[in-house]
Amino acid sequence: MFEKLIDNSMAKSPWIFHINAGSCNGCDIELVSVLTPRYDAERLGFRLTGTPRQADIVVVSGPITLQTRDRLVRTLAQVPEPRVVVSLGSCPRSGNVFKGSYAIDGPLEKYTHVDVSVGGCTPKPEAIIAALAKATEILKEKRKEMHK
Amino acid sequence: MNVLLSSLFHVLIFPGLLFCVVMGVLLSGLDRIWVARMQRRVGPPLLQSWYDFLKCCGKETIVPRHAKKAVYFAAPVVGFAALISISLFLPIAGGKPAYSGTADLVVILYLLTLVSVCTIVGASASGSPFAGVGLSREMVAMISYELPFVLVILAVSRAILAPGDSLNNIFSLQAIADYQAANGPLITRWALIPAAIAMLFVIPCEVGMHPFDVAEAETEICEGTLAEYSGPPLAVFRLTHMVKMFIMTALFCVLFLGGITTGIAVLDVILFVLFCLILTFLTMSLPHGACARFKVEQVFKFYWTVVAGLAALSLILVWLGL
Repeated sequence: MFEKLIDNSMAKSPWIFHINAGSCNGCDIELVSVLTPRYDAERLGFRLTGTPRQADIVVVSGPITLQTRDRLVRTLAQVPEPRVVVSLGSCPRSGNVFKGSYAIDGPLEKYTHVDVSVGGCTPKPEAIIAALAKATEILKEKRKEMHK
Repeated sequence: MNVLLSSLFHVLIFPGLLFCVVMGVLLSGLDRIWVARMQRRVGPPLLQSWYDFLKCCGKETIVPRHAKKAVYFAAPVVGFAALISISLFLPIAGGKPAYSGTADLVVILYLLTLVSVCTIVGASASGSPFAGVGLSREMVAMISYELPFVLVILAVSRAILAPGDSLNNIFSLQAIADYQAANGPLITRWALIPAAIAMLFVIPCEVGMHPFDVAEAETEICEGTLAEYSGPPLAVFRLTHMVKMFIMTALFCVLFLGGITTGIAVLDVILFVLFCLILTFLTMSLPHGACARFKVEQVFKFYWTVVAGLAALSLILVWLGL
């Protein structure tokens, strides 16, 4: 019974941690706009947390630059299970306009399993909310698998 | 046997664990909704803080390599236990407190400090530089609000002391409650109004609510004292934070708004809860919605000049017998 309560809460209180892996700041601003009064993601329980230790959903934006690569891997390793990784925008997916540059070492799939990916340069806030809602469902599934 | 049963009832149900947790969840949920409405948002559901707590219980706990494991796990539990034990000394809603002693206000002062000290000890045991910055800020915040808090307690304790009274009643919450039951709430006494205002300012800083949450600044220092905490220990820290909202508002009700009774116990409790809700809105939601976070030195300066000044003014007025 208690496990079921926790499972249900898992989907109702997802805390987001945002990693900027060399993004141009566009996706970051759109992610923050999701939490503003206009879109108000807090009504679904989302909260931007400051430390990876408390995160449930990790949002990664930007093509993985050489400078951020090691930090990205280290930060992802610090997030406790169950966790969901969301790639935000076209950059972590494919490198976008930076593809082929000597300074980037993407895509994100090379370093971690990506659960949800939002395309677009930059994605619309509505698309980000849809992706985050999808991520909470995956989070709940992962939690269920944990105590099976 | 009866003594044991009634002690268990006091500790676990009313006014102990269950009542405190329910009130804490209610107050923090309403606070988040009120802040959201002030920002013209819909806001989270009422039970959001409870969902947060349950979710944290279901997460993996990662203990950092540099952490002292025993202290890392003990600190949140000891802090929470200390906080719950405060509720046993409060004469909630005009009733008798579960346990009362000669100087229980001093005990409450110590227990409240113990809660903050446990946060500091837990943070320092987690071995993170962010937690290090956070705990140094928490200490500054503690020094800031302790002085006005102690002055307020001194003023209230002096105010109820009649000439020729025995010193047994000093710092006793029961004596304060009895005095208010006989003479009306202390907030109606004009010499104590500055102290009441000072106490209103002490509440959000003691709880660590938004404009004064220098220790847990999530954007600057990664949640500060909680930077390395995850899973169940974090859940206990979150619960401590929620229950602290209730304990502090209840303490204000006991100190300044006692003696307002209807005669029916259930109605009294509802009235008490209502006062707590109003105080939460006034002292926590309103500043949260209106202000950006203060800097550490701003908090310190504000509390040691304005707030401590108000409390000291009250103390002097009371001392002069007004």
